[in-house]
Amino acid sequence: MAVIENNTLAYPVSPHANRGGLKAGQNRIGLLLLLPAAVAFAAVILYPFLSALGLSLFEYTVEMMEPRFIGFENFVKIASDPDVWAAFWTTAIYVALTTTGTLVAGLGWALIMNQPFAGRAVLRSLSLLPWVLPSTVSAFIWGWVFNSRYGVLNAFLMELGLIDYPQAWLSTPEGAMLAVVLTKIWLSIPLFMSFFLAGLQNLDKEQIDAARVDGAGNWAVLRDHILPHLRPVLMIVVVLGVIGNLQQFDTIYALTGGGPVRATTVLSVEVYRRAFEQWDIGFASAVGVLWVAALLPPAFLYLRMLVKGN
Amino acid sequence: MNTFTRLIGTAAVALALGSGAAKAADLSFMSFTYAEEANKAIVQGVLDNFQKAEKLTVEPLGFAWGDMQKNIFLRARSKTLPDIAQLSERWLPTFASLDNLVDLNTVYGKDKLEAAFAPDALAMGNINGKQLALPLLSGSIGMVANKEVLAKAGINDAPKTVDDFKKALVAVRDKVPNSVPYSMATKNNGSILIDFMVWNWVHGGRIIDDAGKVVVDSQKSRDALTFMVGLMKDRLAAPEIDRPDSRRLLAQGASAFYLDAPQTRTFLRDFSGKGQAFDANVLPMPTPVLKAGDKPVSVQWGHLLVQFANGGKAKADDPADKFLTYIISDKVQTDLPLKMSALPVTKSARAAVADDAYLKNWSAATGDARRNEVGIWSNAADLTNIIGEEVQGALLGQKSADDAIKSMQARLTTSMEKAKKSE
Repeated sequence: MAVIENNTLAYPVSPHANRGGLKAGQNRIGLLLLLPAAVAFAAVILYPFLSALGLSLFEYTVEMMEPRFIGFENFVKIASDPDVWAAFWTTAIYVALTTTGTLVAGLGWALIMNQPFAGRAVLRSLSLLPWVLPSTVSAFIWGWVFNSRYGVLNAFLMELGLIDYPQAWLSTPEGAMLAVVLTKIWLSIPLFMSFFLAGLQNLDKEQIDAARVDGAGNWAVLRDHILPHLRPVLMIVVVLGVIGNLQQFDTIYALTGGGPVRATTVLSVEVYRRAFEQWDIGFASAVGVLWVAALLPPAFLYLRMLVKGN
Repeated sequence: MNTFTRLIGTAAVALALGSGAAKAADLSFMSFTYAEEANKAIVQGVLDNFQKAEKLTVEPLGFAWGDMQKNIFLRARSKTLPDIAQLSERWLPTFASLDNLVDLNTVYGKDKLEAAFAPDALAMGNINGKQLALPLLSGSIGMVANKEVLAKAGINDAPKTVDDFKKALVAVRDKVPNSVPYSMATKNNGSILIDFMVWNWVHGGRIIDDAGKVVVDSQKSRDALTFMVGLMKDRLAAPEIDRPDSRRLLAQGASAFYLDAPQTRTFLRDFSGKGQAFDANVLPMPTPVLKAGDKPVSVQWGHLLVQFANGGKAKADDPADKFLTYIISDKVQTDLPLKMSALPVTKSARAAVADDAYLKNWSAATGDARRNEVGIWSNAADLTNIIGEEVQGALLGQKSADDAIKSMQARLTTSMEKAKKSE
């Protein structure tokens, strides 16, 4: 105790010293480093978002030079607009199918890529190809696959004798939805696979070997060992998948334009159509605000997981 | 040289280059023809010649036809409109309320414009007494056939009635493998509108009357849509066809008929890979009529040029107006429209090209064109979407023709509540 007291006397503390001084300095540097990102965020995301939020309370069509304040009238119109509700429903179907499909396909592919076999490294690299390609390029590739006149799918099925004449896959609501879902799954597999592969490489191999010795089959190993181990990854991947699929626009617009009729008109396409086909910026902004509202729950879940370090 | 001096020097050079780039052109010209592979060189030639003649440079801004309206709309909102823009005639009412649009009567004088232009062409750019656009080229949308495909199907004469037309389509389907006998537009609302409007007129129907009342819920319109649905069911037309697809199919001998403007010849030359040698196959023909003796129908068509300037004020010696003056001169008008297989818009140029065989045949085949009954309304974009969606729904079997017509009537009526007409 005496030693401590002596040391304190040897390094006298200034009466003006601020106990939080060092921490405050660190905070200031932290804020300074954050500034460029914050400015970019404010300019590119926050300002347009607040602008859209404001415009949702205005009538603003191509015929008007200045917007006219109408309060919540756009939202009242949305409530009775069957097309917007149909877009919500279509979005729900699209997000459910793409997220589930990518989860299953991504996990399956990761399990295969986790097995030792010759050429695994090359195949792993090739698996990233859909991720590398621009999404609109991918959409056009799939458009070519499904095209009714010169599509690869029709040629293949006719070669096998399964169909007599070319089918218009993109002209039926089910075919068009299937096409946009398959395209998005194909695009997302690399990302999901990478997450799962990282998780699988942390899996204790001895645990699996022990389970095998105890007579566990493939399904039992997957159900009782691999899936519980991947649970945190699964949670993150599902939430990220839902957010990404809710935001999807480019592949759908390039592949089907939201059609046939409105069969693949998800919320993003609906916003685009209202703004750039019907020239109603106010109404489009209101739909956009609801679209953001739909994104908030999964975004909140994701942030909560990040903050909790899950 | 220290770092600071280097930085100052670099900034000065960058500034000089930047201001040089900003002053690179005397005027900007937004054009969809400039974005078309088949026509880009033709427009570039006009720009180059204008530069030589007037010592003024033009910055060309090419956007695809389908993206033009969106780009003008966005540029109007961000106050970055070009000096001159090319429009389809049916888009003008949508943009008529932009306050930067110049009334060209105030620049050139109404009398001078009326003396120079053919009345039908000038009328396309006139809205409620204001000359908001000058015509660039004109014509009509009518039916085109591929003679070679007709010959393969054993068809000697172009079908004159709807019944003959269906027989010809069946012959093509049965004798020309993997063909789409009639490349009817079944994709893209803008294209579907034209096909429906034409067949609706053929059957005696209207979509919207002159007073703005929606009148599509009629037996005649039902018959028209039922006829189109029948073509799909009998595999005489196909899904997933837009106008560019139709052009390619006809050019490649995989289709016998489709609807287009006279400039189709230029596209067909390009897409067939045969150039002018393909002209022998191009047959402009009257659109088949319901019964012998009926008048064939076609839709008025044209490209317009609009000028944007601060407060909508401009003078004839402004660079943009010198460009407009140049582009409607006989030198350009006796050349550019012909290269694009379309009719010139000035009286003198029309007189000069009166002997052009293709344009004569086209005019004779399509007769007096009717004004697009949807394109004259300020809410034309919304009307086009509604009609496109309902017709496509029926064509693809998602709803009956009867339900589609009823739904179209209800939706169009709601849309027309705030519409303004251009006259």
